[in-house]
Amino acid sequence: MAVRPRNLQEARDRSRNNAELAWWVFMRISGLFLVFLVFAHVFINNIAINVATVDYSYVAGRLAKPSVKVFDTFLLGLAMLHGVNGLRVVIGDNVRRPGLRFWIQVVLIVVSVAIFVAGVMTLWAFSYREMGDAIRDLTSGH
Amino acid sequence: MYRGREGQWAYFLHRITGVALVLYLMLHVFDISLVMYGPDGPFNAFLMFYHQWPFRIGLVLVIAAVVYHALNGLRIILLDFTTWAIRYQRVLWYTVLGVTTIIGIPVLVKILPEIFGGA
Repeated sequence: MAVRPRNLQEARDRSRNNAELAWWVFMRISGLFLVFLVFAHVFINNIAINVATVDYSYVAGRLAKPSVKVFDTFLLGLAMLHGVNGLRVVIGDNVRRPGLRFWIQVVLIVVSVAIFVAGVMTLWAFSYREMGDAIRDLTSGH
Repeated sequence: MYRGREGQWAYFLHRITGVALVLYLMLHVFDISLVMYGPDGPFNAFLMFYHQWPFRIGLVLVIAAVVYHALNGLRIILLDFTTWAIRYQRVLWYTVLGVTTIIGIPVLVKILPEIFGGA
């Protein structure tokens, strides 16, 4: 298991390539932003209100606001990149067989991209009814 | 596990909470994306399912994981980018645990009655 680099110089020396170094830096910068984004998100949706009152109209009402769309886009993008990269590193550290490790990471990336696209669509793509009809048509083979 | 001290536990908790949070995040984005099916779609049924008390306890644990992971993340940033923090890493970890508790108590006082108050 790789020992976590202790500072920027160690991270630079130890990383196999610039991509890993860039991810190391990214985790710290995105983490700093996420502290504020996630705390605000949890406060608004879980502390300021009773979460049991959340329903379709609450969520649709919030997601219809441009400010929420912009805020949630940053939250979604940074959280998915930070979280999925973290999981990739954890898998890299704990799954020893290279073939198995590779395929688990492939599945992780495919699932993550699908969920990220669903999230972006939810925020930006179409009216909810248009999108539901499109997916329903797609899955029923029309 | 080997015989690490506080740093080992800080690292272990950071990983466990991180993995839990990313798995929660994926589930969360997926089920929120069900609003795309409109008001008559599966969204409300999903949400009513999650409003049952075991999932709401789970959500409290998610909040606890968020607070710990965020504060310990700030500790890691200090350790990596300053020269002085490494000398105080143990104190900083106890500070992380302390502040997590301090934030956690009012959150519990607010949320637990909502779960068990029959509301």
